[in-house]
Amino acid sequence: MTARSQEAAASGRSDPWRFLAGDGAVAFLMILPAAILFCLFYLWPFVNGFWLSLHNWDGFSDPTWAGLSNYQRLLHDRIFLGALRNNLIFVVAVVILKNVLGLGLALLLNRALVGRAFFRAAAFVPVTMSFVAVGLLWSWIYNPVFGLLNGALDLFGLGGLKQSWLGDADIALYSIIVVDVWKWLGFHAVIYLAGLQTIPSELYESAKMDGAGPLQRFRHVTVPMMMPIIFINTILGLSGAFVRNFDIVYVLTKGGPNHATEVVLTYMMSKAFQDGAMSYAAAIGYMLFLIVGLASVGLLALMRRQRLDV
Amino acid sequence: MSVAAKPLSILDDGVARRPRRLGARGLLEVAGIYAALALVLVETLYPLLWVLFGSLKTKEEMLSNIWGPPSSLVLQNYADAWRIAGMGSRIVSSVLVTGSALIILVVVATPCAYALARLRFPGRGVVLAVAVAAMLVPPQVMAIPLFMVARDLGLINNRLGVAFVYAATSLPLSVFILRSFFVTLPADLEDAARVDGASRLEILIHIMLPLVRPGVALILIFGFIEIWNDFFLAFLLLRDPSVQTIPLGLVSFFQQYDSLWTLYFAALTITTLPVIVVFLAMQRQFIAGLTAGAVKG
Repeated sequence: MTARSQEAAASGRSDPWRFLAGDGAVAFLMILPAAILFCLFYLWPFVNGFWLSLHNWDGFSDPTWAGLSNYQRLLHDRIFLGALRNNLIFVVAVVILKNVLGLGLALLLNRALVGRAFFRAAAFVPVTMSFVAVGLLWSWIYNPVFGLLNGALDLFGLGGLKQSWLGDADIALYSIIVVDVWKWLGFHAVIYLAGLQTIPSELYESAKMDGAGPLQRFRHVTVPMMMPIIFINTILGLSGAFVRNFDIVYVLTKGGPNHATEVVLTYMMSKAFQDGAMSYAAAIGYMLFLIVGLASVGLLALMRRQRLDV
Repeated sequence: MSVAAKPLSILDDGVARRPRRLGARGLLEVAGIYAALALVLVETLYPLLWVLFGSLKTKEEMLSNIWGPPSSLVLQNYADAWRIAGMGSRIVSSVLVTGSALIILVVVATPCAYALARLRFPGRGVVLAVAVAAMLVPPQVMAIPLFMVARDLGLINNRLGVAFVYAATSLPLSVFILRSFFVTLPADLEDAARVDGASRLEILIHIMLPLVRPGVALILIFGFIEIWNDFFLAFLLLRDPSVQTIPLGLVSFFQQYDSLWTLYFAALTITTLPVIVVFLAMQRQFIAGLTAGAVKG
């Protein structure tokens, strides 16, 4: 096979169709459907979105050139900056909570226990639910009249802590963060669990022989061995938290009260479909892309450096 | 990557530890672990049970008996919710959109992944790099231009058209996952078939495809959860109520009527319970699919 393709490559050096020689033609045909689908619904929107963000356009009349003015406006748009701030709080909070609680839950589920498979399946159930179902469920849990949360506080004599969980601008964002963590906790726990099971038990045995207690074993065996998994979970949590918060915010608060829970995607959608500012909304999308991209690249660089150090 | 090598062992690893006698401290520890797990169980499952209970209560009982099981079963809630929320047509839409998207995805992604894994051709590295780069661009950030493109192509409110969009957004990750399955297959099989004069397409369909069935199952499960549950793209592209999918239907039902609490609970049960039952029946594949997809993505 190698000889064949070498021969094809050598003989066709000046032929513009040489990529069709050998396996080339077959490969071309096999990739073509995927390439068409990709160009139509991935590449074209991606390029078109940037073009759009450099114009002023309501989506119907003729677009006019705007240069970078949409981006300049964004930097002075207080609602956008507030949404960005909320988005960052959301990202940092859910990434930390999902990792800490997920690893904790995985450590519990990794023990030899009766009914372990049942506990694992139960912890995973919310992951299979749609954001909409989860959001509706929690809007009733937070309901001030018959909601579970205020009811539970009453039950335990903590009635003084009762809140309007989604109506109070100071706590609504954190209420939403809890919901997102609730939905994804089982997912991150299962990834941690998969990681924990790859740690050879000999490492724990020999640490035990050296007189290491449970906390020291966690610190010196579990954490170093789990570093790659911690990075994977962080990247997953990070990219998810930036761009997968529209559904849940829309269902729970629609960004209110008074933009207190506005995130970048909810603001983008309301700009596009309520104000008809299509090009401004496209610029918002591009800004989000830049931020997600920078965060992922930064994290990947950090990951690479860590790998070298370990 | 080492994680993906044995994703099937997550739920039951089969290696039961030899029972040993517990001291007082050990007993306390086990009790603590069970207490913590019981807490997790309550916070995870009780809200779901609460919805199930609520869906079977009268509206009055909903307010007087917040916590407990219903005193009688009001199945009428289900009939009413089904009718008022137009559940039948939503389910048809969801099945149509998700089913077509998954068929398109497999048909398009499989040959591409095969070519990237097994064929030598110029430009292979570029295609692979593009697939990886695309995974870093979440479709949500280009929602507005995507809407424009779909509008120009006349795909708004077109369920089959939206299925193509869904297939495209799942494409990069699916190609990547499938390719890693093709790469692991031995070359001998293919070489033998080539000697017998089989074409590449015949080899793909008759020899390779049966061998990468776990990979195909994986992208199907992964894609199913994504597309069946998706609200965002459906909200963007399916504006007409008559073609809307289950998540959109739930939201508009919830926003349209003010306080039909018991009916909301019934509607939520109707749409959530089947997925949970499917999950419990195939939990191993589900979890393997999600974790492998995640770990490789």
